[in-house]
Amino acid sequence: MEQTTVNNDKNNRFEVLKELLLTDDREEFHRLREKFLESNKKFNSKVSPVVDKKIDELKSSFPEDFGDVITETIKVQIRESQDEVVEALYPILGRLVKKFIIAEITKLTDNINDTINNKFSFNQLIKRLFKDNTNDAKEVLQEVFEAEIEEVFVIGKQTGLLIGSYSRGNIADKDMVSGMLTAIKSFAEDAFSKEGQDLEDIKFETFQLSMANYNSIYIAVATSGVITPAFKEELSEGLNTLAENIFWKREILENEIKLNELIEKILIEKE
Amino acid sequence: MIAKKVLLVGSFGVGKTSLVRRFVLNEFSEDYISTIGVRVSSKVVELDENEIKLMIWDVAGTSKDEKVPKAYFLGASAAMYVFDLSREETYINLSEDLEAIKQLSGLENIVVVGNKKDLLSEEALQELKSTFAVPVNLITSAKENANVEDAFLLLSKQALSK
Repeated sequence: MEQTTVNNDKNNRFEVLKELLLTDDREEFHRLREKFLESNKKFNSKVSPVVDKKIDELKSSFPEDFGDVITETIKVQIRESQDEVVEALYPILGRLVKKFIIAEITKLTDNINDTINNKFSFNQLIKRLFKDNTNDAKEVLQEVFEAEIEEVFVIGKQTGLLIGSYSRGNIADKDMVSGMLTAIKSFAEDAFSKEGQDLEDIKFETFQLSMANYNSIYIAVATSGVITPAFKEELSEGLNTLAENIFWKREILENEIKLNELIEKILIEKE
Repeated sequence: MIAKKVLLVGSFGVGKTSLVRRFVLNEFSEDYISTIGVRVSSKVVELDENEIKLMIWDVAGTSKDEKVPKAYFLGASAAMYVFDLSREETYINLSEDLEAIKQLSGLENIVVVGNKKDLLSEEALQELKSTFAVPVNLITSAKENANVEDAFLLLSKQALSK
């Protein structure tokens, strides 16, 4: 018990001594702390807006300032790790290609099955008894890849100006196409044909461009698929009917909307 | 909208395609790409409250050039003859060239334009102007975008009046 009292006295004395010796230091410490906090606040208020502004500027000018460097770096990276890129992309592309091919083959198989089923129907078997020499494979292909009208242009023969049109797709500048087509037509006629002859067909990959020439206009029709003699005959008849209608009412050449309606009525709705 | 076929003719490299590019796309390229026979561009211009769709046939070479199909000149409502102010060979036969174009196209008036004025000093240009055999309608520079719009507006006016 006595030992504890002595210890307490010692502690108290030590505390008193500490208080006496460190009072000044503590005050200095508090003063410095306050000063630091104050100056930190002042520093923040001055610097933060500048930093924020710089960050905003960097954000907006980043693509311009660093775009080229980054593009070049990426290019170099890709060039240097070509094998890795190919390895990473190969499975994804492979899967996509596989998926596409399967979908297309399924479509083709369905079409061929439908056509074969149709071919061996009772009515078709009767018809086959009286048919010409066309072979089955050809007939099946013609039915699977049936010809379709993709574009129709009614164009001034000399001017190359587009008078009316129909488009299944979305040609960006039909006027330019008409002009260039007329130029190509003029060039081909000038280079290869004898006087008074007209260019009638241009083939490119899966498309065929057929041109029906009249005195002041020509009608260009782009078709896709397998063009059978029957389709060609029907198209030619359709084009002549269209031309007859145009020449019967020549004022339609001045009215693009009506002419477009007429093209659709005669050539497309009939399909 | 009224649509008109207009021609741009003149020797190789006089800046016909540059004028069209400047007028249609407001672009200029130093690259020289020779036009393969003809290049057709379109641009809608407004003139005296009328909207005209200009189908511009930029024909490579001159009419005398046997390689240019004569059919390119048919059905045009107006034509612009372009020559290079810095190359004498492009305007030395100005009268004959204009006459040939008139015969082929059936046009009576042709807009005559001297291009590439940026390659000549003002003094040299004034001296040169007095030597031309026929009146030159406009002096242009596709590079500096000088008088390009005016040249095509004049062409549109002629097309509309035909």
